[in-house]
Amino acid sequence: MTSFIFSRTGLLFKKFSAAALTILSLGLLAACNSGDKKSDAGSGGGADSSGNTVKIGVLHSLSGTMAISEVSLKDAVQMAVDEINASGGVLGKKIEPVIVDPASDWDLFAEKAKELLIDKKVSAVFGCWTSVSRKSVLPVFEQNNGLLFYPVQYEGEESSKNIVYSGAVPNQQLIPAADYLMSPEGGNYKRFYLLGTDYVFPRTANKILKAYLLSKGIPAENIIEEYTPFHHQDYQTIVSKIKKFAVGGKACVLSTINGDSNIPFYKEFANQGLTAATCPIMAFSVAEDELRAMDTEFLVGHLAAWNYYQSLDLPENKQFVANFKAFCEKKGLPGGAKRVTDDPICWAYTDVYLWAKAAEKAGSFDVAKVVDALHGLSFDSPAGNVKMDDKVNHLAKYAMIGEIKPDGQFNVIWKSKGLIDPVPFFKLDSTAKK
Amino acid sequence: MSIKPEKEGSGKSGWINLVFILFFAVVLPVGNRLGLFSINTISLWGRYFCFAIAALGIDLIWGYTGILSMCQAFFFCLGGYGMGMYLLLKATAQQGLALPDFMTWNSMTALPAFWHPFHHFIPAFLLSLLVPAFVAFVIGFFIFRSRIKGVYMAIITQALALAMYLLFLRNETKLGGTNGLTNFRSLLGFDLSASSVKIGLYGVSLCMLCLAYIACDKIVHSKFGKILQAIRDSESRVGYTAYRVLHYKLTVFVIAAFLGGLAGMLYVPQTGIITPGRMDVTASVEMLMWVALGGRGKLKGAIIGALLVNCLYSVCTSVFPEGWLFILGLLYVLTVLYFDKGFLGLFATLGRKLKFGAGAGAGRGA
Amino acid sequence: MKTSFQILLCLALCFIGRYRAAAADSAGVYVEQVLYPQQAGARSLAIGRLAVLQEPSVLPFLEAISSSNLYLLDGKAVTLGSRKSESEDVFTIYELYPSHRLLLDGHGQPVLLAASGLKPVEISRIDRLQLGAAAGWLNIFNADAQKRILAYTQLESASDTTLIGVLSIALKSETNADAYRAGRETWLALRLNHPADPPEARALIDSLSANDGDNTTAILRAYAKNGGLQRDVGLYARQKADEMDSQYAWLQRLQNLFSGLSLGSILILISLGLAIVYGLAGIINMAHGEFLMIGAYATYSVQLFFNNVLHVRDSDWFYLTALPLSFIVAGLAGLLLERLVIRRLYAKPLESLLATWGVSLILIQTARSLFGDLTAVKLPGLLAGGWQVTTHLVLPYSRIFIIVLTAGVVLSIYWLLFRTRLGMQIRAVTQNRNMSACLGINTRRVDAITFFIGSGLAGLAGCAMTLIGNVVPDMGQTYIVDSFLVVVTGGVGKLLGTIAAGLGIGVFSKVLEAFFEAVYGKVLILLFIMIFLQFKPRGLFPDKGRIAED
Repeated sequence: MTSFIFSRTGLLFKKFSAAALTILSLGLLAACNSGDKKSDAGSGGGADSSGNTVKIGVLHSLSGTMAISEVSLKDAVQMAVDEINASGGVLGKKIEPVIVDPASDWDLFAEKAKELLIDKKVSAVFGCWTSVSRKSVLPVFEQNNGLLFYPVQYEGEESSKNIVYSGAVPNQQLIPAADYLMSPEGGNYKRFYLLGTDYVFPRTANKILKAYLLSKGIPAENIIEEYTPFHHQDYQTIVSKIKKFAVGGKACVLSTINGDSNIPFYKEFANQGLTAATCPIMAFSVAEDELRAMDTEFLVGHLAAWNYYQSLDLPENKQFVANFKAFCEKKGLPGGAKRVTDDPICWAYTDVYLWAKAAEKAGSFDVAKVVDALHGLSFDSPAGNVKMDDKVNHLAKYAMIGEIKPDGQFNVIWKSKGLIDPVPFFKLDSTAKK
Repeated sequence: MSIKPEKEGSGKSGWINLVFILFFAVVLPVGNRLGLFSINTISLWGRYFCFAIAALGIDLIWGYTGILSMCQAFFFCLGGYGMGMYLLLKATAQQGLALPDFMTWNSMTALPAFWHPFHHFIPAFLLSLLVPAFVAFVIGFFIFRSRIKGVYMAIITQALALAMYLLFLRNETKLGGTNGLTNFRSLLGFDLSASSVKIGLYGVSLCMLCLAYIACDKIVHSKFGKILQAIRDSESRVGYTAYRVLHYKLTVFVIAAFLGGLAGMLYVPQTGIITPGRMDVTASVEMLMWVALGGRGKLKGAIIGALLVNCLYSVCTSVFPEGWLFILGLLYVLTVLYFDKGFLGLFATLGRKLKFGAGAGAGRGA
Repeated sequence: MKTSFQILLCLALCFIGRYRAAAADSAGVYVEQVLYPQQAGARSLAIGRLAVLQEPSVLPFLEAISSSNLYLLDGKAVTLGSRKSESEDVFTIYELYPSHRLLLDGHGQPVLLAASGLKPVEISRIDRLQLGAAAGWLNIFNADAQKRILAYTQLESASDTTLIGVLSIALKSETNADAYRAGRETWLALRLNHPADPPEARALIDSLSANDGDNTTAILRAYAKNGGLQRDVGLYARQKADEMDSQYAWLQRLQNLFSGLSLGSILILISLGLAIVYGLAGIINMAHGEFLMIGAYATYSVQLFFNNVLHVRDSDWFYLTALPLSFIVAGLAGLLLERLVIRRLYAKPLESLLATWGVSLILIQTARSLFGDLTAVKLPGLLAGGWQVTTHLVLPYSRIFIIVLTAGVVLSIYWLLFRTRLGMQIRAVTQNRNMSACLGINTRRVDAITFFIGSGLAGLAGCAMTLIGNVVPDMGQTYIVDSFLVVVTGGVGKLLGTIAAGLGIGVFSKVLEAFFEAVYGKVLILLFIMIFLQFKPRGLFPDKGRIAED
């Protein structure tokens, strides 16, 4: 009896599972294809802007380690899209954002980029934060002739025609900061502790900084370079090294420490008795958004180098900040009206406008035409008037130094005289070399 | 296929195989030609097949031998890095550069010695397979020799994966640090961005998956496989009956690593990037999850699990970008709690319920 | 606030009044130069002069400079007073010099102006810093010892030998030992740099090194580098500095040891719960790190509650409340997990690993959607700063607190396990579940309680972690592999082993970190553990007898 049931079960199981498997696979396949049935097989690229909408992709991590930083950029992009749509859209079409979550998984960035370009046929993609995610999607954009707007400051050494880099390159952030610290106004600092998280931006940034400082006559023994892994929390040893280093006076720290390692670092710094007066920290990766909802008492008086601060006194910026707070409150996003803007948020927002303006100028969403139209384009961004370079897809912008205030905002204490033209492939100019 | 019928009477398991192969070997590519499926979908499934190959390795070592190895992703990456180095050197040569760009930024002047064999395909191919196997041999030898097992084995391999992950993140390892290897162009002269090449790679992955399945099937039904299962059920008794447990465990560990390497090697040209992120602690646990979800101790379970979970991951991150972790997390918990035999077990249970339901209904009617 | 600051300063000024150069009428001239500098650098010079003038009437002006609150109104220096109301951006206006007074309009009402209507005077950061330094030396008469120490230290770079006299006066009335040491160091350093004959210089060098201040070696080395008065005096200074440095190297080692202890304590705190739960139920709890996260967020929520609901700011009570609360919240979460999931998985370690992994994904995402950001807890005032053992050995209070907390927790757990009936039951179930059940122990109850305690300990660890790190949804993941390693190295389920392994790994990694970069230190640790397990495959304290097999 049992054996009978068993064999019958076996048979049924086979049939059932075969059918189930087929149905499941088909269902998932359909989901993978996500409704774009009219997609022509085999050919990538070619944005689909038929109908009354034009699609853009938003490729920011909403989960995983990078979510802390990237979620705000997604919000900024969404706000810009809402604003543009409210004022009539681009070329008479409403923008439809396609939001995906690459989950801080670098392979998934490439996969999602392919999906956005090939399956969803978006006209432009706004996304990425880390260098590795940009590197991961770069071949995808080049092969499928897509267009990526990248809003974060980065290490340079790269310039693709398919990527628009609106964040700072080294000569717009690192070099002005170093110059400032060495100037009489900045404090005539002579000894530099380069401290960073171990990945490509700090590595390259410190390489450039070191070469630059050496070229300015700082002796090699006065420059110390050190790296910690991602999410490093225990800065006891390093801070005691810095303390020893600072004893000689005229010492400062150039920090490219990333994300969540910053607070433990500044806490330890204060706990071991170091202050901004004795040894200031110039940070290249600490912005308002990281300081939001933080206890900033340890950071007050330390410095940061960016191209935008929420505290900038410009009408465009005042409007932008107010809009962003209202947007976050209206959408019920975590933080609500307490949200702040910062450099990458400003550029993520500006990017959408740049793209819209370029598309209007070109009269088309075609990538090549939009890129052509972008060159030389100027725009009144929240950070002031910025101008797209004539040759490379980078922005010319002002460099600024800010001092951290107790409320987590920055007091802008220095601003470059004019727009600084981007130099993505940084070279020490030969005259500066000894 | 001449698989000996199992206890559960798998004479008709050929059916599933046939449906599977028919679907993926014929329906998908033809569908692509007809415009039903985009080339991206094909590529995606090609990558899932690679994961399935790695999952087969895990099933051998975990499902059949009962050793919880949490560093399969590391072997996967070793294979991936081997292929990646070859592809990168080719791409560099194509661009007319002397050194891969990341080396230039890191102020390196010459190609490190260990990169040299990867100039040519054959040595690169062999090394991608043999390095993971060799590393597994060394690690396995020391671990199994000192009779580390159970939880200890799991934690040690996890720690190892973490250590290697941290090492690969360093730029001093000369493998590209966090950014890994990317910007590949061509493989053996084929342009990687061409759709036909993508379909070709998909086909190769599918063939390799089938081959790996057949090989694993042979293994588990051989005497060797029986002893593996005996080790799983009671290691000491196997030892008492004069089998050299160390040899068996070591062999299966090496085979699993070999499969991992193979999978990684196939994965890289289809994804276009390999970074240490692929080998962090989470990556290895996820691979275990695929097998657990599919059905541990069944080769088909490993394959189905790998395919389904990855497919779900892709779909959910696009469709539910904000909440996909809930879905995946719940799935893991529920599977373990209610369907501890995985999807395969679930199908079986459902099948049985259906059968009983029908049977009961018929009984009452009569 | 502002007035009390002024009163203090005035008192200080009266005190040193007799050492002051005759108050110059030039204050007005310098103020003018600060507002309208004639040439580059004139402003810095003028600010410097004003700072050394010690003229009470310019103090409000200097204060406005240092707080970047200096504006021009009709050619006069003014500063913004209080805001009229929350909603309106208009302020009362104070005139700064020559008299400090509230500006009134014709009707005797305060003048109200918007900040945007005033012309700000941009003072560069370096000028402000310089002012801070100069104004700082007035602080050597401050009531706060920390401020005095800072002021003394800042005087070190001064070349003004007239300060020697001021310092002597100040040191006579100095009561705080640390401040005295710092002041004396500056005093000696100034005298050393002031021409002195060789025997006197030697004596000063001796006193400096005996004084053993913060910057003594730097002063001595700088002195030696500048050649000193004579070559041999310079050499003598260098020799003294070398001697001191070798002493400091020892202190540095002690500091490393302390860092190691504190890291070890954290590891123990996290691993204890893991070890107990594994020992009892054979559960590999991958979600253990997330209980740590829950504990940390509980602490954060308590802080929010105190700030926003009770409106109690700057009080340490929130942390004291959070300590037990984080234990209870995490414990309850653990209890819930046990009820819903783990209960079905006892003695299935591998399945439990997978299920708890899923739970950890869910918990992380929940925390992310609830709290969203990177957040951190304010350090309680009691635990800020550190214990100055000697001049060169500072042990942060927060770390000491963690070590003490861990010691307390370990003792209570020992007491619980070995001195109470419940502990006996837990140990019995750990050893043999079925037999214990036969003997009438309610194993389910024991399981639940153990899980509560284990998770609660992780929550407590989370609360402790907020003292040194920030609070993020995936903070548990950072420590989970390390704590697994501790559990394994110690011998799974062995408390003593966990403690020994935690301390060992903590101290060892800090010692290694002193020589290598953090990453290599970590890799080396893992390597050592691998080798260690070659000889002790079941950890430091393996079970004896045949129980251990299968």
